[in-house]
Amino acid sequence: MYLHNRLSLVRCYDGSRRPFCFVTFIVTYFVMFIVTFFGAFLLHFSLRVGGWFSNGGSNVVDVQELLDHHIFHDLGENVGRVKTILVKNADLVQRDFSVREAAGPACTLFYIDGLSNNMLIDAGVLRPLIIDSVLRDRIAGSTDSGREHRPAGPHQTAERLLINPEVKFADTYQKAIDGLLAGESLLFIDGVDEALLVGTKGWESRSPGETATEVVIRGPRDGFTENIRTNTSLIRRRIKDPMFRLESLQIGTRTKTFVNVVYIEGIAKQELVDEVMTRLESIQVDSVLESGYLEELISDAPWSPFRTVKLTERPDVVAAAILEGRVAILTDSTPFVLVAPTSFWEGLMASDDYYSHFYLGTFSRIIRYIAFIVSLTLSSIYVMLVSFHQEMIPTELALSVAAGRETVPFPVLVEVLGMETAFELMREAGLRMPRPIGQAVSIVGSLIIGQAAVQAGLVSPIMVIVVAVTGISSFAIPSYSTSFTIRLLRFPIIIASGTLGLLGFVGAMFVITVHALSLRSFGEPFLAPMIPFQPSDQKDALVRSPWWMLKSRPWIAKDVTRQGNDQMPKAPKNNGSGKADLAPDEKASDGQSHKSAQGKPGSDHGDSKSSASSGQQKRAQPAGTGEQKDKTRRSRKPKKILGGA
Amino acid sequence: MHKQWTIPFLLILCVFGLSGCTGAVDINDLAMVMAVGLDKGDTPGTVTVTAQIARPSDVVGQTGAPAAGTGEPIWTATATGRSIFEAIRNLGRYSSRRVYWGHNKVIVIGEDLARDEGINDVVDFFSRNHELRMRTWVVVTPDKASQIVATKTGLEVVPGNSIDKLFHFSDLVAEAPKIDLRTMQASYLSDGSEVVLPVVQTRLRGVSTDNPKEFGSTPQVELSGTAYFEKDKLKGTLNPDDTEGLMWFVDPPKTRVVVIPCSSSNPNQTATLEIRHYKFKVVPQYVQGRPAFRIQLNVECNLVELDCPTKQSHQQVMKALEASVEANLKKEISDAIEASKTNKVDFLGLGSRFQDRYPAEWQRIKSNWPELLSTAKVNIDVSAHIRSPVLLSTPTVPDSAGDR
Repeated sequence: MYLHNRLSLVRCYDGSRRPFCFVTFIVTYFVMFIVTFFGAFLLHFSLRVGGWFSNGGSNVVDVQELLDHHIFHDLGENVGRVKTILVKNADLVQRDFSVREAAGPACTLFYIDGLSNNMLIDAGVLRPLIIDSVLRDRIAGSTDSGREHRPAGPHQTAERLLINPEVKFADTYQKAIDGLLAGESLLFIDGVDEALLVGTKGWESRSPGETATEVVIRGPRDGFTENIRTNTSLIRRRIKDPMFRLESLQIGTRTKTFVNVVYIEGIAKQELVDEVMTRLESIQVDSVLESGYLEELISDAPWSPFRTVKLTERPDVVAAAILEGRVAILTDSTPFVLVAPTSFWEGLMASDDYYSHFYLGTFSRIIRYIAFIVSLTLSSIYVMLVSFHQEMIPTELALSVAAGRETVPFPVLVEVLGMETAFELMREAGLRMPRPIGQAVSIVGSLIIGQAAVQAGLVSPIMVIVVAVTGISSFAIPSYSTSFTIRLLRFPIIIASGTLGLLGFVGAMFVITVHALSLRSFGEPFLAPMIPFQPSDQKDALVRSPWWMLKSRPWIAKDVTRQGNDQMPKAPKNNGSGKADLAPDEKASDGQSHKSAQGKPGSDHGDSKSSASSGQQKRAQPAGTGEQKDKTRRSRKPKKILGGA
Repeated sequence: MHKQWTIPFLLILCVFGLSGCTGAVDINDLAMVMAVGLDKGDTPGTVTVTAQIARPSDVVGQTGAPAAGTGEPIWTATATGRSIFEAIRNLGRYSSRRVYWGHNKVIVIGEDLARDEGINDVVDFFSRNHELRMRTWVVVTPDKASQIVATKTGLEVVPGNSIDKLFHFSDLVAEAPKIDLRTMQASYLSDGSEVVLPVVQTRLRGVSTDNPKEFGSTPQVELSGTAYFEKDKLKGTLNPDDTEGLMWFVDPPKTRVVVIPCSSSNPNQTATLEIRHYKFKVVPQYVQGRPAFRIQLNVECNLVELDCPTKQSHQQVMKALEASVEANLKKEISDAIEASKTNKVDFLGLGSRFQDRYPAEWQRIKSNWPELLSTAKVNIDVSAHIRSPVLLSTPTVPDSAGDR
């Protein structure tokens, strides 16, 4: 009977002020909304079965037939077919000309205005074919005049005349049109049944600028652009390794988007590379407009709120990742690059960590771990304590929380959900609106949420603090996708804590943790190196050890040796062997050198010279061990300084 | 999503959706009890509960929240019932919020109730109730408990907090032991010790700021001695001076102050010593079938005040004072033991100390323990060392005074 009363919906409208009533009211409202919406949808759909998704005719099949055809011998036929395939394309440029000022065969050049660089076409295609070939003939005289009227084969033309470095041959229309639409110039020569594709790609693109999503204090400022070649060059400029590999493929039957897979052979495991390639090659979609398409199509856990592929806009992050044995996937026309495999903790690491002093790196990492926990749990802990476990709050705080809530008309759960929603609303609005309005909205938002809502007694002041701290913490998480995951998971935890208290909180955390534990990113455990615990990777997990300690690459790499032994810098020692080589005058004053050092500007000079000479002395020793060699190299360093000065 | 996960997922959703927030009460719907008093009811066999309930908006003075208008940070309510629980439930007849015990600081027991009805009911109810904490202080008052609970006392906004803090810093006076619910329950359940509880009472101690002429007009809650129990009934009380000896056994203080006369000619001239470190040891013995105790106390103290002008050096003064410190301490300990012996109530917990050392022998003698205690031989051995005169190197003596 008791349970029945609790569950009945009618009690909600009799004025009883139970939290359950508000929650049930909202749930009921949404259920009704959804049922109505889907009902209408189904009704509509059933009336026009088949009418929604029809593609309106068989035009596509006809074009495919045209594309599959071999290139004709006859120029007129070729031109006609191209114009048939690419009908109604205002930016298709056609240029008819003859090689050697009408002495040679007639040609037609097609290119797409805007995708091709006019300068390249002019200097690399038209000028050599029309003018330069004539000049050369005049210079050469009439010795080979017998060949003049023979139609030049495409190979000869390409080799002899076209200056452009990138010339391909196409035997079918499919290849010819693909090249044309990718920005190459398509050249037909009368009487030749092959078409030439000249690499004249060139379009407007942004130059590498500062990234919008990953801001660093210390580190390079360049970010990826929309041009895939620029992006690969940004990575290549950082890694000058012959083992650097860049595999290219095109994904999307209509967009034919260029996708490049970048890794270092010998560091990345071959199985990983194969797995990435297999997943990419098995994609069959019509379009890939952004790397987000690929991310969802190759993800290990498609339904999970956790993202098992890392997203970055920074070339230095990609370079560091592939140097750790990961694989990067670059997509044309987006600055966002995918990196796989990844772990959850990578979302909490910033590239700053590796560039700043390691104490700072470790400190800010720990701050970010705190931010992660706070932004995930603070609001749910607040709900849990205030509506279930009031005995866990210190008395003074309990009284001030109670005082703040004195006039709040909503239960805590509704209050928290409302405030979190308001916060997300402000964030989303701030993101979408035009920049100049941003400030106005943030002022209005903070005033409404922070001040007016409290004064009106709609929310309690402590609630505002909780939501603000939660929000600030979520901004401290460097990776946008991780930050989003945490923001998303916050809501189920809040609802669980608000309905079942500590039990619900622990239950929700338990479910989320178990789920995260079950995830894998391209075969690697998602929570590694914490779970499973990988001792050798701990030096770059919770803490960022100094570079001279980061001897090995992460576990995922094939070759884990990153650097030589004994990289920790040491001050040069003024031991006996160094002193033996000192010049006689320095040797004599050696006992007083420390006293006189302050006044003598060149006092360092003696020190570095002595160590340099000791280094030379050691190098002279035959066949030292590796360790000795290392020491030699290190102690030689001051000599360079000396040389520079 | 895999189909096999759909149904478990929906079931989990149902747990949250259908639980109806079972057990959820918002914090502002709670009447947080800060202190509770238990008195004998008007009709026999009943108990009256007085609860001091904090009114949060007046405690905090929150901006935004409208003032409740009364300006009183507490609301004190009283109800009577045949049992404690019934009385508490009866509070609900007129409390607009749910009475909540999670933040209760102190339980005040009226002397009448403790003497006539006993504290069995109190120990049982308050340790059985899940909302109450075992760290709640328990006190006895010769006044009405309701009066103590309703008195505005101390610096804290909520008087319950004041009493709580009073015990936090009561080490300095050491005139009443600090006993919380757990300690009280432990000694109540133990064979070898009896319950002792601190005594508080209201005294006109406060000085009204508005009207200084009414000197000592506002009542304040004051620590004053100890009440000791036999089984669950109040047997008697010790005054603050006698309590000092008891404190060594029950609630050893961090520091203590000892005041002794320093001049044979003028008993009003005193030296004050602050005990900084001490070692207190009770060694139970079993001699010829009779329990005996050897009590050792080594104290190290500082000379913090010296009234007697003297030409002697500090070393000599301190040496001379040591013997009287020892005598003083020995007397207070033997007084406490004597009180325990004559009343045949083991409120010092000597029985449980004996039990710890001689568990098998204890089983034989425990039925006859109060009798044996009254005849037990107790040997007290106190040694005192005065270490330091703190900042002064020589006693404060005016030049002229030296001539006397």
